[in-house]
Amino acid sequence: MSHAWRPLFVVLAVMISIIVFRVIFVPSDFVAKNGDYKFQWHRLSSEEVWKNFPVKHKGRDFCQQCHSELVNKIKDSGHQHVQCENCHAMFEPGKKSHPIDLKDDFGYLLEIGIERSRELCKRCHAELPYRPQTYVITKGTTAETVKFKMIDPTKHNPGIECVMCHDVHSAGFKTAGK
Amino acid sequence: MNLSRRELLKMGLLAVCGTVIPLGALEILKPEAAASLIRPFSEKKRWAFVVDTTKCVGCGMCAKACKLENEIPFDTEVQRTWVERYVQLKDGEVIIDSPHGARYGFTKNDPQGKEINEDDVAKGLFVPKLCNQCEKPSCVQVCPVGATYKTDDGVVLVDRGWCIGCGYCITNCPYLARFFHPITNTADKCTFCYHRIKKGMNTACMDACSFGARKIGLLNDPASEVFKIISTHRVMVLKPEYGNEPQVFYIGLDDIVR
Repeated sequence: MSHAWRPLFVVLAVMISIIVFRVIFVPSDFVAKNGDYKFQWHRLSSEEVWKNFPVKHKGRDFCQQCHSELVNKIKDSGHQHVQCENCHAMFEPGKKSHPIDLKDDFGYLLEIGIERSRELCKRCHAELPYRPQTYVITKGTTAETVKFKMIDPTKHNPGIECVMCHDVHSAGFKTAGK
Repeated sequence: MNLSRRELLKMGLLAVCGTVIPLGALEILKPEAAASLIRPFSEKKRWAFVVDTTKCVGCGMCAKACKLENEIPFDTEVQRTWVERYVQLKDGEVIIDSPHGARYGFTKNDPQGKEINEDDVAKGLFVPKLCNQCEKPSCVQVCPVGATYKTDDGVVLVDRGWCIGCGYCITNCPYLARFFHPITNTADKCTFCYHRIKKGMNTACMDACSFGARKIGLLNDPASEVFKIISTHRVMVLKPEYGNEPQVFYIGLDDIVR
């Protein structure tokens, strides 16, 4: 055979080794879904992995199982669209203070605690010139546009926790004896 | 070859006419286009998002909820969704910032850490941002190993077990929506809370928003609120010039928004 054919064997060997590598290392569910090599070329099992990612924010319905009184109260208040987890899900380790271990008993993965700092309330209620001035709440079946209460934190009782005077769950002032 | 003058002119004219028909004129022959003539809405599902910037107050609860829901370490400076603040002063200067991705909210009138007088502000707005789940995602096209892909319902996901961490997708996203996950060391991005929307729930950021500024829903579904808003309101997308066909639609954007 002519020496000119030798490079062909090299090419063939490279091609075969690539095929062998692919068969061994690329899983069988690695396909171009719907024949779309441009955008859908992936391991199909990865979709299931994302679908089975644990849900952590379970919303009011979960809290309502024990705290129905507070949940019903907040539903009638100006804070009706504020979720429990907005304020009670803790991101700092050590702030967790829920008496029952929600993770073991309910499979609930967020850390629940009570945050009383002014910083939390200021996220919505600090006055900024470009904040929307109104928001919408529903009363019964009708939607109502109400004024958004904002304060200047440097002038409005600085240094005192908001919850000294304000009841967060009724979005009003604290009444005597409560 | 025996060709008469008349035949030559005839064939020449035919060839010229044939070549000038644009491909677009044949569009009606596509099966999807033909099907849309029979049924007004395609049955293909497609997730889309609507952000109403006129309602956003910049509390950053969405950014906080997203980090906790999707296990992105809270103290790291990476986020799947974040809120940007755009403030234009009366002298025309535009200040843009997003301290810590707004996960602690905006509590002071101090864009870029510089406190400004309320009277100097001409206008300002908060713009929540997230992955646009593009119809033609440029991040997917550049992935050398097929670790990022678009699902059938239009959500772009990352296969964490397959990603080699080269970072091409991160540099190719025109919306800067991608980042390296500090624990898995792979590319990471907003998944539209795929684990939640597939169970019929809303995304974590939408549930956390007390003002209804964020909405998720299916396109091509006449019952979905997102579809109703997109088909009846004036909506805009970010950076349409990149041709990615982003699927996050904004109400109330301004030309100062990047």
